Amino acid sequence: MFFRKSIVAATGLFLCIFLIVHLSANAILLLPETTARELYNSYSTALRENLFITLIAYLLYISIILHVVYAAIITFRNTKSKGEKYKVNHNNKNSTWMSQNMGFLGVFILLFIVVHLANFWAKIKLGIGEDVGVDVNGNVDVYEVTSFLFHNMYFMLFYSVLMIPLGFHLYHGLKSAFMTLGFYHKKGLRLLAKISLAYAIIMSVGFGIIPLFVYFK
Amino acid sequence: MKVTFKIWRQENTDAQGELKAYEVDGLSEDMSFLEALDHLNEILVLKDEKVIAFEHDCREGICGQCGVFINGRAHGPHNNTTTCQLHMRSFKEGDTIVVEPWRASSFPIVKDLVVDRSAFDRIIQQGGYITAKTGTAAEANAILVSKEVSDSAMDAAACIGCGACVATCKNASAALFTAAKINHLNKLPQGQPEAHRRLLDMTAQMEFENFGSCTFTGACEIECPADISISNIAEMNARYVKAKLFG
Repeated sequence: MFFRKSIVAATGLFLCIFLIVHLSANAILLLPETTARELYNSYSTALRENLFITLIAYLLYISIILHVVYAAIITFRNTKSKGEKYKVNHNNKNSTWMSQNMGFLGVFILLFIVVHLANFWAKIKLGIGEDVGVDVNGNVDVYEVTSFLFHNMYFMLFYSVLMIPLGFHLYHGLKSAFMTLGFYHKKGLRLLAKISLAYAIIMSVGFGIIPLFVYFK
Repeated sequence: MKVTFKIWRQENTDAQGELKAYEVDGLSEDMSFLEALDHLNEILVLKDEKVIAFEHDCREGICGQCGVFINGRAHGPHNNTTTCQLHMRSFKEGDTIVVEPWRASSFPIVKDLVVDRSAFDRIIQQGGYITAKTGTAAEANAILVSKEVSDSAMDAAACIGCGACVATCKNASAALFTAAKINHLNKLPQGQPEAHRRLLDMTAQMEFENFGSCTFTGACEIECPADISISNIAEMNARYVKAKLFG
């Protein structure tokens, strides 16, 4: 019980750190087009050619898989522990909606990750689908892939709207992960709740606004 | 005062239960919730019907016996209270009040609103005590305890073992109960000699009883009559990780 929960918490925190790095890189897309294209492409080339980043990438894939698998096992066992449900249950009076529905929110995020990987990872890393061109500096034109995708209204909406469940998931997940791993300082926990809220807002709004920005640019 | 109770009736553990409606008149808003159930049971006796089984003892919020799920909340609509301390003035004339037993696989229903909470006793048996010779009480100042430590141990010791934490938890986790019982003793010098074994044995029993795992929804600390903070669970986790990693 403790072991499984700690795995979910530890991988979750690692994914939280990853999101900060990911959003920082995505912020390049907010720059004027020529600068953004050049920077974005050279940055992604640098990532692909870096051995350390390749190792981190594998750690990332493993983290996502462990997070999902262990969370699913815990949810299954917890549902069994609960047994028969109440006919009337007003749990919104004693806890937040997201804390009660982390698995439900997680399904949307998993769906997002699958589509996201199909759109980018499969195309650029695995070379599935049409060939991706290069920019003036000879770097693979990832910017073009991104820009093309976000100019499709459905993908733009998909990438923006699904950042809402991400925000809710992160808000509960971040503070809960710290407590699972044993952070129990009372004043610290109050501060942690505020940090989690700020983090969740920055991540969901940050990631969510970029597709809109690219679409309307 | 007139209300409609919808009460879970179940003959025994294996029987199929259902909510049954009872219109009850002649209640006073000064009655406690349990007195209202007593009143209903008296009516049922006169009608020669089976009375509703529910647990109660001290009726002053300290024994932890009473505990039912009222209108979708453990111990009724107020935060941090017991069922016996809930009064009919918390409801309105004509209200429908749904009453269900605690629901958790580890708390099988015995009859109607009575559940078997002996899983809690078995957790306590694994270390919720200190091994000391009984006899004359020792001199109170023989072991000095700082105010901060005694306060935080007392906060955890306030747990009355009612089971509201398990009942309200979507995972039926007993983490708040177990953490309170462990921290109460492990914070004090008297609890130190067995601290390590207590932590590992009680948590192992908690898992063995098939309680769910804590996902920190925070519902338990809102419903807990003894106002025990979920930081106790985080503290238990910290000590558990430390015990597992460093022995």
